[in-house]
Amino acid sequence: MNDDHRDSGPEAGKADKAGEAGIDSQMLGAFVDGELNETHRAAVLSALERDPEAKARVAAWRAQKAALRALCNAPEEGAAPVIVLRARTAWPRRMALAAGWLAAGIAIGVMASTLMPELRRHQEPATFARRADIAYAVYAPEVRHPVEVGAGDEAHLMSWLSKRLGKPLSVPSLREYGYSLVGGRLLPGEAGPAAQFMYESASGARLTLYVTRIPTDETAFRLLRDGDRRTFYWVSDHLGYALSGPISEAKLRAIAIEVCSALGGKPESWQ
Amino acid sequence: MSFEADVIGKLPQLRRYARALAGDAAWADDLVQDAAERALLRRKAFEPGSNLRAWLFTILRNLYIDQLRARREIAVDDESAPWRNLEAPRGEVDGLVLRDVQQALYHLSMEQREVILLVGVEELTYQEASNVLDIPIGTVMSRLSRAREHMRMLLDVGPAHKPAPLKVVRNKP
Repeated sequence: MNDDHRDSGPEAGKADKAGEAGIDSQMLGAFVDGELNETHRAAVLSALERDPEAKARVAAWRAQKAALRALCNAPEEGAAPVIVLRARTAWPRRMALAAGWLAAGIAIGVMASTLMPELRRHQEPATFARRADIAYAVYAPEVRHPVEVGAGDEAHLMSWLSKRLGKPLSVPSLREYGYSLVGGRLLPGEAGPAAQFMYESASGARLTLYVTRIPTDETAFRLLRDGDRRTFYWVSDHLGYALSGPISEAKLRAIAIEVCSALGGKPESWQ
Repeated sequence: MSFEADVIGKLPQLRRYARALAGDAAWADDLVQDAAERALLRRKAFEPGSNLRAWLFTILRNLYIDQLRARREIAVDDESAPWRNLEAPRGEVDGLVLRDVQQALYHLSMEQREVILLVGVEELTYQEASNVLDIPIGTVMSRLSRAREHMRMLLDVGPAHKPAPLKVVRNKP
């Protein structure tokens, strides 16, 4: 729900009149919250004397504020919060590892394209899986900018990437598996744009779902191994999907099946 | 004082905000744990000299939104809603009134609730709230005044206001 109509600063609320004397409702709020300078404060104070409706509003808001504070400051039951820091690989090391895998990925990619042209053509979807795998290696270790658009703006994220890929996209929730959506980014794919969605667990482990358009419509479900990373990939309704992460094959497979069926695929056909 | 000590010093306020926002003590404690952990691991993202508390609220809020999206799929009926299980605090203020305030708070949309909590309870300035919520100050102000009016209306009418049960009227033959 978005009920914000005025986004252009404190002046924008002038139309929101409260009562005959015309004291702006946002001005009253600023008055209650101590956000006004002395001049404005004095102006509101004198205006309130002529505006009983605004005065009642200020009184109600002050009472609300006091009640909310009383509510939130009620003595807590239970133990004081204890924060447990879980051990994790330091990120420079992860970065180095990812760079290594990236180099390996490129090397294999080059090898595949020069030495094995037949194989490459035969397993065409593997190209997008490879790209997905490399994209994982590049972006998953990102600390500050893992995604271009965060999941906080999911509607925008989905409409933007759907528009760029020219197909309506959706992403399933992986909360059941302990992963929540971080956001997504647009990437160059083999023959057009690709979308990468990133998920993260509470301990900071990441999975990515890579989506791109694929001319063929092969539905096989395949696995790509690269170091400790696994990528399960499949094609459904002319969209290639690749789910990558450094977790166990069995677990990743289970999640991939879930993702596939959530997105309208038919994982039964692989089993 | 070290960064860790600073963060730890803010935990009680972080917990207060989490509880009020989520309306569920266990969930709130998980959020505080996750937020503190994330904050300590990402300390480099913190701009020294800026408001640490506001930064921690931002982290916690992002986690909450993430988790909320997943939980929203689970239908919450009024009887099992989190605030039903919260004990209304006793003290100088009349417990019954606070219970009404509490119910009204959870009848607000999350957008309205968070702004009213950040400014009203946590006493962030409009500028700080605008940073935490990632919206312009003008939006903070308009959202805040709508939230307050909504809450006022709820408290006037009563959040538990329900339509009168329908009477069965028999048609006489």
